[in-house]
Amino acid sequence: MAVSFPSVEYFEALREKMAAHQDKFQRLGFIDTTFGVSVANNGKSRNFILEFEVYELRSVREVPSVDPRQVDFVLVGDSRVWREMIENIRRNGEADTSHDINTLAHLGEQLKIVYDSPDGHDKLYRFMESIQQFFDLTSQVDVSFNQ
Amino acid sequence: MAYLATRNFLEDKDFVDKWLYTIRTGELDLSWMKSATEKVKPHQANPRRGLTYRDLDIGNYGFSALPEKVRDNRSYAPRGAEIPPGVPDSQPWVSRKSELWAFNTESYYEEAVSRQWNATTDIPWDRLESAELPEAIGKALSQLMTFLTEVEMIATDTPAMWLPRLNPDFIEVKAFIAAQAMDEARHTEVFRKRALTTGWGLMQASPMNEMALKHLRDADSFSEMSVALHLVAEGNVLTMFRFSEYLSPTDVDKKIFRLVMQDEARHVGYGMQHFKYVLEHFPEKREVLHAHLDEAENISFAGAAATELTESFIILAGGGLKRENIEEGIRITTIFNLKQMQEHFERLEKCGMPERKERSKLYMMYEMGRAAAEAAGIRV
Repeated sequence: MAVSFPSVEYFEALREKMAAHQDKFQRLGFIDTTFGVSVANNGKSRNFILEFEVYELRSVREVPSVDPRQVDFVLVGDSRVWREMIENIRRNGEADTSHDINTLAHLGEQLKIVYDSPDGHDKLYRFMESIQQFFDLTSQVDVSFNQ
Repeated sequence: MAYLATRNFLEDKDFVDKWLYTIRTGELDLSWMKSATEKVKPHQANPRRGLTYRDLDIGNYGFSALPEKVRDNRSYAPRGAEIPPGVPDSQPWVSRKSELWAFNTESYYEEAVSRQWNATTDIPWDRLESAELPEAIGKALSQLMTFLTEVEMIATDTPAMWLPRLNPDFIEVKAFIAAQAMDEARHTEVFRKRALTTGWGLMQASPMNEMALKHLRDADSFSEMSVALHLVAEGNVLTMFRFSEYLSPTDVDKKIFRLVMQDEARHVGYGMQHFKYVLEHFPEKREVLHAHLDEAENISFAGAAATELTESFIILAGGGLKRENIEEGIRITTIFNLKQMQEHFERLEKCGMPERKERSKLYMMYEMGRAAAEAAGIRV
């Protein structure tokens, strides 16, 4: 059954896949970061906080907004960009060279990275491969899109 | 041989007789069993993580108990062990905590160990067999890799040089520095391998780059080295790795840069936490840190503008050597250069040195660069 994006269920589905691939994520190493994901659509946004600890996604919750001071960083983007990323991952099995998180966020033109502390911002890069492979698990999940 | 044993044991009759006596009679000394050391029982705070250095932060064994000046131990006796008479003085250069400590040092080390990767087997090198790059792109990529191999060789040597100079009581810092040397050796390896797999071989070494890097290697103090290497140089290189990932022409290159940026960000994290630690605990060192930054920023400005590096980036960013490629390449590379500077000052401000902008010549260059970019129609 398809999970809708964006939703807590989508991230829970990725969490299950991450748990099922613990060998891969243990090989990558500890991931200790809490970050926000913000998906904008027609002037409104849906916001989620993902808390990772050791080798797993410990918790995910939807919130009215993400305060950058409460998390390490926030990935902010329009639903159109997120959808294109997800569809690209599902088509290719993983993000291609134009759709990985760093590429989409680099110039701030597609995804933006919002942060309060450079130390928190740098956690995106400290755990970059784990975060990328987390999102790449979308290739194993049926996803439908909220309008 | 700089150090000789205090006795010639092989010809010392008393020593040899005692050794033979023990073998013949089985009579043991056992005085070491009466060591008057703390008896503790560490527990894993999180069994999923394992037994960490933080779990060992108990009593006199812990890093929290470290004084600012380590006077009691100048040997290799492990912190907390009984130190009998006769241990040699290892002559550490650094026995002051303020010279090297950072908040969460032990966590950075645990993260380093758990996030090690293998440049031989974790990169999908076989995917390069079918990758064909245009000549200009291939050469630019190889030049970038040559430059980065050069950078990482010095980045390997520099922390490693300091290892024997640090008082052995600073176990966690030494462990982190040793892990960093391993990280940088792996970076040297992966960049060298990628340069040679482009088909263009290695390209040209960079005098400007090496001059900048020599400053790191020849720092007068650990703190100066950390400011210059971890905070300034690696802060710049982290931005460079993120940019390189963005520019990467193949998925293999993207994987390489995603993995190296992980290590780099961790090193920068240690540098920031050391800087913060010093500012918070030793405010009288603020001017010393400014002095370190004066030269580090001078050197980093020169190194980042090295021709071999800048032109490679322009070609990779623009996608070639035609006029329109160069124009686009300059636009994107200018944004990257300014971002490097902007993020440097952002780090310093958050670490507790907001006033750096007002006295830094590099900040003046940043403002001039921004103005020039905007005048050229580059939206920063």
